[in-house]
Amino acid sequence: MTVTSYTERPQRSKVDDGADALSVPWSRSRPRRSRVSARMVSAITILMVLAAWTASARLQLVSPVFLPSAVAVWDKFVVVARDGFVDATLLQHIAASLWRVFAALIVALVVGVPIGLAIGISTMGRGIFDPLLEFLRPIPPLAYLPLIIIWFGIGEPSKILVIAIAMLAPVALSTASGVRGVSQERINAARALGATRRQVIRHVILPSALPSILTGLRIALGAGWSTLVAAELVAATRGLGFMIQSAAQFLVTDVVVMGILVIAAIAFVLEFIIRRIERVLVPWAGRE
Amino acid sequence: MTHLVLDQVSIHYDGQPAPAVERVSIDIAKDDFVVLVGRSGCGKTSLLNVAAGLVEPVRGRATIGGRPITAPGSDRAVVFQNDALFPWLTARENVAFALRLRGVRAAERARTADNLLALVKLDRAGDKRIWELSGGMRQRVGLARALGAEPQFLLLDEPLGALDALTRERMQTTLLDLWTASQVGVLMVTHGIEEALVLATHIIVLAPGPGRVVRSFEAGFSRRYAAGEAIRSIKADPAFAAARGELTDAIFEGEGA
Repeated sequence: MTVTSYTERPQRSKVDDGADALSVPWSRSRPRRSRVSARMVSAITILMVLAAWTASARLQLVSPVFLPSAVAVWDKFVVVARDGFVDATLLQHIAASLWRVFAALIVALVVGVPIGLAIGISTMGRGIFDPLLEFLRPIPPLAYLPLIIIWFGIGEPSKILVIAIAMLAPVALSTASGVRGVSQERINAARALGATRRQVIRHVILPSALPSILTGLRIALGAGWSTLVAAELVAATRGLGFMIQSAAQFLVTDVVVMGILVIAAIAFVLEFIIRRIERVLVPWAGRE
Repeated sequence: MTHLVLDQVSIHYDGQPAPAVERVSIDIAKDDFVVLVGRSGCGKTSLLNVAAGLVEPVRGRATIGGRPITAPGSDRAVVFQNDALFPWLTARENVAFALRLRGVRAAERARTADNLLALVKLDRAGDKRIWELSGGMRQRVGLARALGAEPQFLLLDEPLGALDALTRERMQTTLLDLWTASQVGVLMVTHGIEEALVLATHIIVLAPGPGRVVRSFEAGFSRRYAAGEAIRSIKADPAFAAARGELTDAIFEGEGA
């Protein structure tokens, strides 16, 4: 084994583990107590950012119009949670946004998973959907928002559609890559056990692709949240994106910051929930 | 009696300059255990895939009970070197897979699967997840799953190739037990010379470039095991050593080394 750099640890592999332990002191398999964990560093980083934030507010380095203090944001959070902002409580804003994102997610799954299957399974499907998705994928939601409003009006369906379009490509493409990754041996084994084409898709390809589909779902949720604010630009009366925009118009910066943090917190919680779901639904992923 | 027959089969893969297999004929009766051996590139697996219906020969015919083989079917269950089990199912559900495809009811499915698991000596592993099983256990689940399709023939593509030597030896007797108990014809591909001798009723030696049959042996050791003789005493028989020498010579014949 050659070690190219001394700051870089040699790759450990099962085969030369023994040799390593003798010749390269840092890869001895002695139980090491790690003094710093990444988690601890992350915690310290967050604390530092909070401290810097509080300090700049306390020392009045910037005007509260640009950056309100953490305490002000927290107070605002409590007030908005209790009394609301622009005619709706924080909970109602959150509910409106969550509803849009989840409705869009269901639309994206119902449409995207079959499209991904088609792309992964048949040449025809790939020929049809690949260019369409590649066309759709890089367009920012704000660009097609006006068109959606012209076509479908300013109601709730338009908002859901804008989010769903942003979610479609990640769901479909992840599904397709999962389908293409199914081992041929597994499919052959199923066929030799008497499975028809439809049964192969239902009983082998779909479950095999499930980890990929869930990854796509996670990426899609991220895309959905980033589209949310755009979707709530027009004719919304509720929603976190709407709340932030109305606050921005009146320079109520503490509500803006609070809204951003709430969106971040919800995204974090959703990510956590999906990881849990993954562990329950596809416990075999990465263990084969 | 049903026969699985490859008749003058030639295989030529698209884009390859030379055929992979030329004019190979194999006839497997329902109580045969036919083993294909030969050096790498002699087309063993290709021939097995023709029998499975996964590869179409360019010339010649593959038939089962006189009907041409055009697609995979549950009358010829395949077990691969990599077990190809379904990790989202438990061991029992894997074994019951073919039954589920046929629409057998859950309770009956579980009962049949448990019997098959007992047959491969995995009575208590039914609820285990695939990744909790050792390589040998996984391969046994694979065999039980194949038998769940109630095939007439088992096609085994180096099923013991990925196992360690001790597990492999134990699996050989398991295979023989299965073969005697379930009345299926077996076509198996292997690299192991001793394995071929222990298991086979017929051994077909192939040579590469293009793949063709160079020798065909009758081997009686597996019948002796089926008749009750211990595997150790069979392997200790001087006839076994002699057969091993002869088979080794046949495999490396014409290699020049």
